Amino acid sequence: MLNTEVKTELIQIVGAAGYLDRPEELACYSYDAFVEEALPDAVIFPKTTDEVSKILKTAGRYKIPVTGRGAGTSVCGAPIPVRHGIVLCFSKMDKIIEVNTRDRYIIVQPGVVNADIQKALSPFGFFYPPDPGSMNSSTIGGNIAQNAGGPRCLKYGVTVDYVLGLEVVLASGDIIRFGSKNIKDVTGYKLSSLFSGSEGTLGIITEAILKVLPKPEAVKTLMVTFDDLDNTARAVTDIIGSGILPAAMELMDQLTLNAIEDSANLGLDRNAQGALLIEIDGVKEACDKEMKKIIEKLKENGAVHIQEAGSDIERDKLWTARRSAYGVFAKLAPDIVSEDVTVPVSKVPEMIRRIIEITERYGLRVGVLAHAGDGNMHPMIPADKGNIEEWQRVEKAFSEIFKAAADLDGTLSGEHGIGLAKSAYLPLVMNQSTINFMKKIKHAIDPDGILNPGKFV
Amino acid sequence: MKEKKLQNCGKCGLCLNACPVYKILKEEQVSPRAKLHLIKAHDQNTIASSAFLKEIISKCLMCGSCSAVCPSGIDHYSKFMEMRRKMGEAHGEAPAIKSLIYLLAREYRTGFGAGLARTGQKLVPAGLAKKFKLGNIPIKNFPELNPVPFRKAHDEVIFPKGKPAGRVIYFTGCATNYLYEDTGDAVIGILTHMGYEVVIPKTQTCCSIPLLFHGAKDRAMENITANIKALRDIEAEAVLVDCSTCGEALKNEYPRLFEPHDEHLVAAQDIALRVTDIISFINLHFDLLQFDPDITGKIPVTYHAPCHTRNTFSSHLTVEKILQAMPSVDYRQTPDSDQCCGGGGTFFYEYPEVSKKMVDKKIESAKAVEVSHWLTDCPVCRMNLAGNTEKKDGLTVLHPVTLIHAALKQI
Repeated sequence: MLNTEVKTELIQIVGAAGYLDRPEELACYSYDAFVEEALPDAVIFPKTTDEVSKILKTAGRYKIPVTGRGAGTSVCGAPIPVRHGIVLCFSKMDKIIEVNTRDRYIIVQPGVVNADIQKALSPFGFFYPPDPGSMNSSTIGGNIAQNAGGPRCLKYGVTVDYVLGLEVVLASGDIIRFGSKNIKDVTGYKLSSLFSGSEGTLGIITEAILKVLPKPEAVKTLMVTFDDLDNTARAVTDIIGSGILPAAMELMDQLTLNAIEDSANLGLDRNAQGALLIEIDGVKEACDKEMKKIIEKLKENGAVHIQEAGSDIERDKLWTARRSAYGVFAKLAPDIVSEDVTVPVSKVPEMIRRIIEITERYGLRVGVLAHAGDGNMHPMIPADKGNIEEWQRVEKAFSEIFKAAADLDGTLSGEHGIGLAKSAYLPLVMNQSTINFMKKIKHAIDPDGILNPGKFV
Repeated sequence: MKEKKLQNCGKCGLCLNACPVYKILKEEQVSPRAKLHLIKAHDQNTIASSAFLKEIISKCLMCGSCSAVCPSGIDHYSKFMEMRRKMGEAHGEAPAIKSLIYLLAREYRTGFGAGLARTGQKLVPAGLAKKFKLGNIPIKNFPELNPVPFRKAHDEVIFPKGKPAGRVIYFTGCATNYLYEDTGDAVIGILTHMGYEVVIPKTQTCCSIPLLFHGAKDRAMENITANIKALRDIEAEAVLVDCSTCGEALKNEYPRLFEPHDEHLVAAQDIALRVTDIISFINLHFDLLQFDPDITGKIPVTYHAPCHTRNTFSSHLTVEKILQAMPSVDYRQTPDSDQCCGGGGTFFYEYPEVSKKMVDKKIESAKAVEVSHWLTDCPVCRMNLAGNTEKKDGLTVLHPVTLIHAALKQI
């Protein structure tokens, strides 16, 4: 708990209702969707940018760590307050300030839930492309801080590609605003890129201007099975290589496919070694043309069964099945670890082979699921954290998987972020000078290191 | 209760946006994921038992929406009920909740409502009503008690009209028995119209969900075994409920309450298999309904989907389908028809500020579609919606069966 003097000062800023520090409450802000936990000393709910600025000034004066939090759905431990101090929770700062589809932007506070942005845009025929798996709960502040992705980011790009402008409170309490409502804006450094993926270590996002897009007029969805996992992966590289950019290309191996079939009963071939869920969208005529070419490529790579969704209901059913994969795996053991190593798309077949080889060597089950079109792999390992010996094998396997990705010119994270989960592996993909450069930036803006300390920088 | 080895909560947070309480309060500690975390911490002695812990745990509508979206398939219900029992034992219940538990637990033995009804009292004994403001609902808006309890007013067996179609058991629940006889009359009217013989076992009693939710498991068990005895030996193709919470109890909770070798387990499982809600049953035999061709004009109607209807029977879409198929109804959907109204058993009493925000949102959207009737198939939702609407809102809140029954041809 913070001392009385600090507590009084903070309560003066947000009011007693905006300040929590009973043990029962603190326990609930010690976690996210990652496996670690650490208790904060206080949880504060700001409502305005001004309050955030005052809180940071106070925290800076007493050198108290401040860790931002939205809905706590991060899978890499980013909002876990490992150095304790204050958790600044934005779930109540959740107003949509302006929807402007004529100029193609939306202005939101950080606590707005991703799905609520979609709901606000839908009546105008617009959407916000980044669609992380947590989109029904996760907040936009967290999405930006983690530079979140999602299945359709293959075609549309990740969060940073949609950040037009931000309002950020720095560790000093200074409020900065950069970017604008303009789709084209090259005024000064592209600071939105610096803060997207900064994981709360550089500043606290208090408002965002986001680019939005008109919904495509046509969507087509295919489910394809193969009798060989290599062929499945090659079909992906072939389609991308031929110049077609689907909205999503999801790859599933046999274990995943069977797990889905157990729960969703789609009539998929249980003997299939691999499957792809492919979605294209755009102008109807263009979709038809692309679809023809995709089917050609699939057949060349030995696709056994190609099924096109005939209606929105069938399409929903295919996506529900794909999304249920994680849950089905989660039921195989008390715990589950899912990572998001990413490789260039041409290396997807080799990466899959290596994941399977590594997990087999450690005697672990693995489900291979991937946003394969952009090389973003999601190997899922169900295991029991209570079984120390097994858990060590899981950690060793992932450490080798990270190395394998780096060997293949890949990277540690395609969309989850680094947080606590992968800090130790940064040297695999960055040289020391680059890591030092990040540290210099951090030190220049936050010399006392109060913002989300204990993380990757 | 059997403690099963359950999945660990992966803390993915998908339950946050499914939880009606979280959506209003936006504080992690009330979320389903946080409650599981606190229960675990309490079991491991890292969080001590306290009145405040009890308050957090009971800030829950027991609506089951979290389990419905949970990818790990966690059984929140059992975990929450067990924790509520522990908290109730350690820290007691508010006086009004205690009275409710007392009344419902004694329901089977004393038939409390009968005595109260004769003097024309309201649901809430006068002493309580004066002393406590009843949650978010003004006392004057509580329903009157039935003049005679429904089951007392009806024969145990009611014969069908027209061509016999079969036989069903009607589990009336306390709400129909003591408060909403109009619902019961409509259920019997529809079933006999369809050609069903309706058996209303006299020895049935409170389903005991309110007792279980408030941790009074021991007192609940007497009612539960009485119900199993009352229902098990009657040959009938279905056990029908007009309240989806009673349905949730009979279908999901009863079989979980008995150890593997308990004599009641098989009977509980057999009953569970036959339990269905009246809406799904009507839908299944929709071809047996003959609507009155002389009714002209359409009543503008909207619908509120109760949590247990959605999460236990998934029959909320069925209600909408039936309403759309009815010649005498102009069905107007609200965008938030599937959002919780904040009634939640005694939640409206325990957490009026949270509950009030939820119900007010619902009322706004019901008014926006300009209807005269607001249908819902849960008595607590009905009490909450009707209790919070004003006369000038012009909304009559009813169970859907009442309108269905009114539209049928006399045979």
